[in-house]
Amino acid sequence: MFLFCSYSHSTMQTQNRQQRLAALRDTIANIERKPALAEMRARAFDGAADGFPRLPGGLLQDVCTDAVRNGGASLGFALGQVRTLFTPKRLAVLYLQLAADAQFFGLPYGPGLSSFGLDPAQLVIVRASDMQDLLWVAEEALACRAVAGIVADIGGAPEMLDFTASRRLSLRTAESGTSLFLLRYGADRPASAAHLRWHLAPHRSGRKPFDDRAPGPARWGLTLERGNTGQNTREWILEWTGNAFKSLPDRAGKTRQHPPGTPVSLPLPALLGNPISQTG
Amino acid sequence: MALDQQAQAAGLRLGQALADARALLPGLTVLEQDTGFLASAFAEFADWHSNASPLVGVLQDKAPFGDLVLDITGVAHLFGGEAAMLRMVLGRLRALGYSVAGAIAPTIGAAWAQSHFGSSGIIGSEQLSDALDKLPVAALRLDERQVSLLTQMGLTRIGALRTRPRKPMLARFGASLILRIDQAYGQIEERMTPRLPPADHFVERKFFEPISTLEDVLLTMEGLAQDLSQLLEAEGLGGQGFHLFLYRVDHKVMTLSLNAARLTRDAGHIASLFRHRAQRLEQEHYDPGFGIDLVRLAAASLDRLEPGQAGVFETDNGAKDIEQLTDRLASRLGPLSVLKTELVASHIPERAARLVPALTQQAQIAAAGEGDRDRPLRLLPQPEPVAISAEVPDGLPAAMIWRRQRYRLVKAAGPERISAEWWRSGERLKLVPAERPTPPAPGEAPKPLPYTPDLPLFDPMTGMRDYYIVEDGEGHRFWVFRLGLYGGAVHPVWYLHGVFP
Repeated sequence: MFLFCSYSHSTMQTQNRQQRLAALRDTIANIERKPALAEMRARAFDGAADGFPRLPGGLLQDVCTDAVRNGGASLGFALGQVRTLFTPKRLAVLYLQLAADAQFFGLPYGPGLSSFGLDPAQLVIVRASDMQDLLWVAEEALACRAVAGIVADIGGAPEMLDFTASRRLSLRTAESGTSLFLLRYGADRPASAAHLRWHLAPHRSGRKPFDDRAPGPARWGLTLERGNTGQNTREWILEWTGNAFKSLPDRAGKTRQHPPGTPVSLPLPALLGNPISQTG
Repeated sequence: MALDQQAQAAGLRLGQALADARALLPGLTVLEQDTGFLASAFAEFADWHSNASPLVGVLQDKAPFGDLVLDITGVAHLFGGEAAMLRMVLGRLRALGYSVAGAIAPTIGAAWAQSHFGSSGIIGSEQLSDALDKLPVAALRLDERQVSLLTQMGLTRIGALRTRPRKPMLARFGASLILRIDQAYGQIEERMTPRLPPADHFVERKFFEPISTLEDVLLTMEGLAQDLSQLLEAEGLGGQGFHLFLYRVDHKVMTLSLNAARLTRDAGHIASLFRHRAQRLEQEHYDPGFGIDLVRLAAASLDRLEPGQAGVFETDNGAKDIEQLTDRLASRLGPLSVLKTELVASHIPERAARLVPALTQQAQIAAAGEGDRDRPLRLLPQPEPVAISAEVPDGLPAAMIWRRQRYRLVKAAGPERISAEWWRSGERLKLVPAERPTPPAPGEAPKPLPYTPDLPLFDPMTGMRDYYIVEDGEGHRFWVFRLGLYGGAVHPVWYLHGVFP
């Protein structure tokens, strides 16, 4: 009896220690402002094993979509990610737009944010007069430690947002731990130093319960064009459930996850395994 | 308007015809007076006088320019007394080449009267009645008709007016005469409107050699922010509005004003706000002229501030950091560029959420609990007309053309009917049918009709909107509505109001 208890106690200690280590790692990364990318492999399994990865903060992400009519989808995708980045200290999300583009893109709508799953009181809308001011606002907001994410609507390919500017932004985001999402529209891909680049395409929604003809929950098709999330797959079909992204299997019925035969690398020890088996 | 000594010596009078003046002085040069330009130039010149007293105004009762009034309550001791202050102000104006007369008095009316019709001097509060009694009635800022009427009646001195019964004077000359008498003697308080925002908590720095670059000004401002912070801390106050006055050597003043989201006296925060504000100034028009010789930083909108709140250490939640961020953004972009959402209890979608400047302190109003309605993530500020084909009268939309693109709609939910808010439309409701008046019985008075306001009748059909959530074959989801009903007077029109995620 005594032996058995001590073993399980030590394995539970191992689990607690690992959790505590992970928490300490987070705190040290916060203080030292280490770039988040180095931690991404370790975090890749925060989400469900076959779901959309829960990406950490501190990333510059380009969300490209073909036309302005997909603006709601790209904003939803960005806000869905920002929602996972809220902590007790990081409570705000910023939305940036050029003041002249309000009618073209539309403005975030309070009751719409509530039905999406975000509290409209957390959103601050900034309307800049030109691109230079917008980039300045982005840098200022990145320097603030209380912002969880920034979403900026960039129409066209402005000259001010060239490779140098985007590299500067990517360094700032990595330093500060705040994520910056640039929503881009159009088919061409300007040179960008973003950590991740997504292509978002609209997808038909599923069924709404009790109403066959109504649109169901929002669905999008996402392709990771550039960057690495620590998972092998690069295409998802996501549905927004009001709280989180749900990855859906594609038409063929199998999840587009690990191609058969590829070994999956697990940097963390198997916490889900049988505790007793670790004593060996 | 006014004559200087040379003109008076030559024999010219106010209100003289041009031909008479030319007869007196054959070589007279005539220039047309640009009143607007002179008024604004004088006003800017007036601002410069605020280095003597913070409250300076241009008195425009009798002329658009030419009269300066300064409120020197509590400031005179800084210049060594009232006499010394008067000498200083008049002396430096005369050194600039102006012909000027001035007076100090307890009321604006008395000061005006003394300076225009008496000799430059000081009237104390005990000598007010005596001094005023001796002045002519024109010194009361009356119009010419009243003055001529008074002189015709033989009332030439103000003292004669003071003791007369008021009612006949009121009838004969109007209420303005009574008002002016009371204002001059101090029975009614008269206030001047200061040109620059008043601020009694200020710190300033004078320069022996004028500075001109913006960077120097900002460095000075940072030092002044420290001093102001200490001044406010000594009194336990915090400010919400801050003004930076830059006095140029050529007698003009530049003002930078900004507001903070909450009371603060943190020197670093104030300095960074002004730095951002100055960046905006740089692009517009920063013109130091020949240099700036006085920089003054003033705090306004003061209120008690507890000692613990002035520090900028790590806070428990990020609310203070967010407020400082919005302060910085608003100081550079303008207060209307940084907005937050305020939920309003209204069914009309564009009124249900209002964007207010993030700087406003908002009482935490809980949102009207309509959270179960599906609303789009993006709302267009103006609904855009679209061409929709749908079955009449209540069919779901089947095809749409928006911004010159066709969409084949496969799914639709709705309609959600939202009608106009009759209480805001200025129209009346028709709740009961109008009564037909019954003819009165013989011998009785007719009954009065019930009151119906003279407003147009509210027609619920015109403002009615039917909202649909539609989705096309590729997965684009929109929020469209139809304004009006089929079969009404006006053909209904379809609009697109928002985009769903």
